[in-house]
Amino acid sequence: MAHALRADRQGEALAGGRPHRPVESTLALEFDRGPRGQTVLIRNSQQPPLRVVRSFPLADGSALAHLHNVSGGLLGGDALTLSVDVGPAAEVQLTTTGATRVYRPRPAAPAATQRNRICVGEKALLEYVPDVIIPFAGSRFVQETTIELAVGAGLFWWEIVAPGREARGEIFHYEFFEMKLDLLAERQWIAAERLRLAPRERPIQSRARLGPFRYWASFYICRVGLPAADWIRIEQQLREEAGQFASSGPTLWGVSALRAHGIAVRCLATQGRDAIAGLHLLWNAAKRLLYNREAIRPRKVN
Amino acid sequence: MLLSALRLLQLSDSALPIGSLAHSFGLETLVDRGLLGARDLPEFFQGYLEEAGALEAVFCRKAFRLARDAGEDFPVEQWVGLNRRLSALRPAREARAASITLGQNFLARIVAVENVAIARRVLEASTSFATSPEIHHSTGFGLVCGAMDFDEDSSIAAYLHQQIASLISACQRLLPLGQTAAARILWDLKPSILRSAERGLHCDEGSAPCFTPLLDWGAMEHPALSTRLFVS
Repeated sequence: MAHALRADRQGEALAGGRPHRPVESTLALEFDRGPRGQTVLIRNSQQPPLRVVRSFPLADGSALAHLHNVSGGLLGGDALTLSVDVGPAAEVQLTTTGATRVYRPRPAAPAATQRNRICVGEKALLEYVPDVIIPFAGSRFVQETTIELAVGAGLFWWEIVAPGREARGEIFHYEFFEMKLDLLAERQWIAAERLRLAPRERPIQSRARLGPFRYWASFYICRVGLPAADWIRIEQQLREEAGQFASSGPTLWGVSALRAHGIAVRCLATQGRDAIAGLHLLWNAAKRLLYNREAIRPRKVN
Repeated sequence: MLLSALRLLQLSDSALPIGSLAHSFGLETLVDRGLLGARDLPEFFQGYLEEAGALEAVFCRKAFRLARDAGEDFPVEQWVGLNRRLSALRPAREARAASITLGQNFLARIVAVENVAIARRVLEASTSFATSPEIHHSTGFGLVCGAMDFDEDSSIAAYLHQQIASLISACQRLLPLGQTAAARILWDLKPSILRSAERGLHCDEGSAPCFTPLLDWGAMEHPALSTRLFVS
């Protein structure tokens, strides 16, 4: 409720003429593996609204950090940059404190942008398990992500996109939503996404796009160096895993080996909670297969 | 000019024996799960052309220009990078492999009937790639058309036309879709084919968008179907 009220105030302020000064913000995080094997945050350079207050040690030696946006969401013209370096053999889990809200901007304001630059060092691991992105009615958003994986590096990375504020009847009312992802292992592309959703220009619910579904998620599971035959086997195992919970709700799960070093998962759902629950189950299954241990769900304030 | 047109007609004939009729690229899964019916097809292919069709057109055009502008020094590294980038954009293993199989078959058929030096060189180079060779159908088609100095826009449109014709043919085997209805769908889509072909003029292979999550899902889950008519 508090979020909704704040969002409404943002919308009113933007529409009512109170000036909003777009911000440029950079959050740079650097993690390293300490002498006792525990991963530590060694550099945390931040300009609001992006913030990380501290990192928390987890039972398996990894470090957990919560990404905050203290302004509550992205406003028109905001240009946010997230830079994450995970040092060799370090293990990091990143999550958000809540949904990422992309607010409706002034008519002349440029799109809100988020640029993510991620480097995962040799034998390091990054688990990026954020909450859903909610593009509000009229919003314009561009996200560009580059992830570079070194030899032996591991990655669990998902993004979940909502149709809008469903409770307010905002279903695909945003102006446009762009997402660009480059995933490289040993400097070679293993996966890429380029999408531009502009519901007024092209119907999102075309059967060539989302069909009858409202939410979609991409999930990448990587460990650099595993041979192709292993990924075919893991694909099959994760597909079976997904099959166990996919039949419980109107949600589709697709699992497939990338051209090298990993797996892509696609989820289409009518309810966001089904997508989130399934992602956690697949994350755990993949963690067991690749690292022989359980995934640790990030602790949240709410 | 007329000879070029006749050659382009043959290259873009879906009956060219490269195996394109053996692939549905995920359509079989959508039909099997009740997510695509005969009535949905015009709207489905419209969306397909705006997304996947336009993306393939961008890569086809880039390959066309690489070959046309190459002269003696064909940039093999750029060619390899172009194909790898397209592989990275295809999340479904079977559909990616299908596109690569068709691309290699296409080039092999061409060099068997015509001495296209660039196509021969690319095929030879592909055997020495560090990883498995990646020559996609759209890039292979563009490469040959550029090397043979065909008209650029006609080549891109012809590629998309044969791709849609192959997919509609797959739908005829999967759905209650008669010959006349199938012909009408392809006929009505021609303006959309031209629009998708043109999109390559306004974006490059690094920025061309494509959003087809439902079809990606179908292609990803095709290996799990208990009975299958198609390889992908």
